Amino acid sequence: MKIAVLVKQVIGSESALEISDDNTWVKEENASFVMNPPDNYALEEALIIKEKIGEGEVVIVSQGPDRVQKVIREALAKGADRGIHIEENGHVETDPLSIAKSLVAAIKDENFDLILSGLQSDDTGMGQTGVLIGEFLGMSTATLAIETDIDKEKIRVKRELESGWFQWVTLGAPSSISIQSGINQPRYPSLKGIMGAKKKEIKVVQSHKAEKKQSMEKVFVPQTSKETEIIDTDLNSTVDRIVEILKLEVKVF
Amino acid sequence: MIEREILELDVLFVGAGPASLAGAIHLQRLLRKSGQDASVGVLEKAGEVGAHSLSGAIVDPRALKELFPDKSVQDFPFEAEVSEEHLYYLTESRKIPFPFVPPSMSHHGCYVASLGKLTRWLGEACEKDGVDIFCGFAGTELIYDGDQIIGVRTGDRGIDKKGTKKQHFEPGADIHAKVVVLGEGTRGSLTKNFLHKHSLMKERNPQVWAVGVKELWQMPAGTVQPGFVAHTMGFPLGHDVFGGAFLYGMKNDIWDLGLVVGLDYKNPGVDSHHELQRLKTHPWIRSLLEGGKMVAYGAKSLPEGGWYSIPKLSVSGAMLIGDSAGFMNGQRLKGIHLAMKSGMLAAETITEAITENNFIETKLRDYEDRVKSSWIRDELWKVRNFHQGFDHGLIGGLTNAGIGLLTGGLGWGFKERLTSIAGHIRMEKGMKKDRYKDLQFDGKYLFDKVTDVYHSATAHEEDQVPHLHVNEPDICITKCVEEYGNPCKNFCPADVYEMVPDGDNQRLQINFSNCVHCKTCDIMDPYQIIDWVPPEGGDGPVWINL
Amino acid sequence: MINILVVVEDNRGSMHRMSKEAIAGAQKIGGSITALVIGDNADTISNELSSIAIEKTLVVKHELVSSYNPDGYTEIVTQVIESTSPDMLVIGHTYQTRDFMPRVSARIDIPFIPDIIEVEQDIYTKQVLNSKLNSSVSSLSDMKILSFQSACFSAEDILTGRSSSQNFDVDLDPSIVRSISEEPFQESAAEVDLESAELIVSVGRGIEKEDNIPIAFTLAEVLGAEVSASRPVIDSGWLPSFRQIGSSGSAVSPKLYFSLGISGAIQHVVGMKGSKNIIAVNKDPDAPIFEIADYAVVGDLLEIVPKLIEALKTEKDL
Repeated sequence: MKIAVLVKQVIGSESALEISDDNTWVKEENASFVMNPPDNYALEEALIIKEKIGEGEVVIVSQGPDRVQKVIREALAKGADRGIHIEENGHVETDPLSIAKSLVAAIKDENFDLILSGLQSDDTGMGQTGVLIGEFLGMSTATLAIETDIDKEKIRVKRELESGWFQWVTLGAPSSISIQSGINQPRYPSLKGIMGAKKKEIKVVQSHKAEKKQSMEKVFVPQTSKETEIIDTDLNSTVDRIVEILKLEVKVF
Repeated sequence: MIEREILELDVLFVGAGPASLAGAIHLQRLLRKSGQDASVGVLEKAGEVGAHSLSGAIVDPRALKELFPDKSVQDFPFEAEVSEEHLYYLTESRKIPFPFVPPSMSHHGCYVASLGKLTRWLGEACEKDGVDIFCGFAGTELIYDGDQIIGVRTGDRGIDKKGTKKQHFEPGADIHAKVVVLGEGTRGSLTKNFLHKHSLMKERNPQVWAVGVKELWQMPAGTVQPGFVAHTMGFPLGHDVFGGAFLYGMKNDIWDLGLVVGLDYKNPGVDSHHELQRLKTHPWIRSLLEGGKMVAYGAKSLPEGGWYSIPKLSVSGAMLIGDSAGFMNGQRLKGIHLAMKSGMLAAETITEAITENNFIETKLRDYEDRVKSSWIRDELWKVRNFHQGFDHGLIGGLTNAGIGLLTGGLGWGFKERLTSIAGHIRMEKGMKKDRYKDLQFDGKYLFDKVTDVYHSATAHEEDQVPHLHVNEPDICITKCVEEYGNPCKNFCPADVYEMVPDGDNQRLQINFSNCVHCKTCDIMDPYQIIDWVPPEGGDGPVWINL
Repeated sequence: MINILVVVEDNRGSMHRMSKEAIAGAQKIGGSITALVIGDNADTISNELSSIAIEKTLVVKHELVSSYNPDGYTEIVTQVIESTSPDMLVIGHTYQTRDFMPRVSARIDIPFIPDIIEVEQDIYTKQVLNSKLNSSVSSLSDMKILSFQSACFSAEDILTGRSSSQNFDVDLDPSIVRSISEEPFQESAAEVDLESAELIVSVGRGIEKEDNIPIAFTLAEVLGAEVSASRPVIDSGWLPSFRQIGSSGSAVSPKLYFSLGISGAIQHVVGMKGSKNIIAVNKDPDAPIFEIADYAVVGDLLEIVPKLIEALKTEKDL
């Protein structure tokens, strides 16, 4: 079974963020980059599926500048078989349709049986890439898989619905599935895995430039333009005011 | 029966710092030249090379030029050549320039650099040379076969805070190597035990330490001159606390502002983070930071003892390089070039050892001979009594240093060797003056510790046993609170140690997740009951250009 | 006047609250609004819509979509769009929306702008980088497809009125459906999903000791909220780590973040400052959290919370 895992490299969540001079994104020079944590779950699930089936390959697909090779290598060190680096050096891409079209151009001839992706990226968080690609390649799709039951004969996933509800879905092959975080506990790379990763292939292809369909004009610190109402009075008045706020202003009930 | 991964290598460097990386690069070259092949690996506890590297720094390019004779200085990842340098004595409001900078303390011909950037650059060169760098693996134990060291065991991963194995638990791996080179940096954890077990500090001065805390400030365009260098003494440390401030201009309008505080002060209330904030209240410093934004924070200890605190450097199967061995020139405030050179000298010994297939102590001792006949020795010999002079305060220290310039390093003008005692012993019991009662954090130029720690981007797997082992925690709430007032909450620059209410009492809370791996606690705890061990591999700060 | 298509979701037989919010949003944006309801419960839901001030409701019933599947829904929504040419499609950002709207987007090559928290003419605000920053996004196509985050608009603001419904015939080939769903079932989640919680009560060190934690849970229960905590509470072992909010825990932006005894250190604040309403209770009038709170309650939470619980219970009984 040929499994692709879409992996994005994103700014680490511990990095303090600084907005770039043109306000369109954040400064990258002093940021640390990591594998998008949701994609790590997708990767682990792909490795588990391959191990369960006993054969097949797990291919990492990632778009971005040279630095993304680091997350591809990380995935290879964990057991993925090879990688495809779609080279894109421009400004961070924020249009999911453009990203998906570029990925499709790079992978359509691979004819993957399964494409796994994280539920969304920790940077732009559009949460669509896996499903868009599924549609473009005529695959069945499912999102928020919290458990998979996949082998050569079937593709079955347990989807997470809201409020504690779940549902098993059987999908026709080939399928593009987004994985819910927490589905598994991602493994650590072994020393031999790290050594072996150097010898695995990373094919570099150029990104496919598609017409931009949406644009992120600027980023900004969320406005705390709120006026703070200070409530500093006796116990009863305080409680009364809070109840009033909850009822009339926040509208909790 | 735990199944560990076993890896066989020829040479293992522990710690991907400048010493190990320079050593590994040099080793690969020498091996190739002699037609030999050997597997060389570097173990690094951080998730990526450079993430735990912190220094001022002003780098003497000497070692880099030796390592890369075909490259020009422009190829090295420096910020800028030192363009102007100043030495000031600060009072609370004034700055008084020193009349001249002695040539041996001059930084002329040196370069302002970020150690993180330099380490990353060396790491890339290393990997290109076929060396495997294993990031995210912490060396936790040396492996012995009798008296010979035959490898390093890495830490287990995937153990929860109660000590039970998690689902993805993985036991540490055993890396076997013919020679283990300890380049863990300051107060290395394997090194600490190694020195003790083999009595390598016998007849030496105990190592004395300092802690460097720094902030990077992003300033408006065009306001920072790259290559600007200033060092200061006096305010805020005064005459009784060793140390001083540094201010370096980096590229892209970044001020690199820091303070080195000797870890041999008497007042248990001294808090290096707070001292850095006090420094910023000085009108000159404050004016330089106007309109700027603090973008990064970090801290790291450094070995200040000098030549007489350097241990015996090898035993069968293992060697010490870099800060782990204490190769730091306290007077010049430079150690990176010495670290690199030590790694390169170790590589020369190792090459011979591989040829002869002999890794016992009598062979590896050759490294120590090389160090003694190298420019490392030339340089450190001249300042061998530098730090010891400051046991008598600032004036004493400067006088001793001044005389030393004229006598080639004699202590007080006539003594070959000045002894010293370990810094934590100097801490005095009893309540002392509160140095910070007027310090106010405005959140704009002066920050509380918790806010600064946030800017060190440090993170640890939350669900693990705290990596700071306090061996007798009762002491904290019985003796220490009375005698020293729990100095851990002061000397830790990362707010790891906190005394929190516990019913009617107090208890020690260890916020290990804030730890920036500076090792100050392991050094400065007056009872020496704190043992810093590596947390799960990959944890810790994520410094980019510190 | 623009034509807005609101795709309404069936929540086990009644209109999903977030669909109501989407309608309120459409009404605020202004235009001729058509609602689309799909599935076996479509008639019941279109009944609910009949008393709302929209233009009309389109009802689609087909055996292939007697229950939700992405293939059928994608095809239907596409056909409705092609037939009615709306200027805008709005929908609540639910799990179901995430599941099929990107399919529609790819099929008709129109960008889908998801999880919007504010609409200002043609500029849509979306959170990025784990809600640490906001972004202004614009769609470069004439037709806009937008989904709204919970509480971007309020269901209470819906304008009532009268509207009619009509059946919409779709042309569906059985071969398009490639996912077969089994019956949904409930399971208690091992962990709490703070990120999708609407209301959160959060506990900080001011709770003083583990024995006091239950009052936070009681308050949460009365409000219908989830409980979270700041770092020190987790470190003390009083609550499990999946309840942690902050730079090393979850980042949330609920409708209500009710903090009890949290000082507001930056590590915590980055995890919750996007919350729409922040009520903070703290003894210390200088607590940093008050800088980002909407309501700064200076007082002892151990006194305030029990009284508040009683008052709320009384209020709810009324």
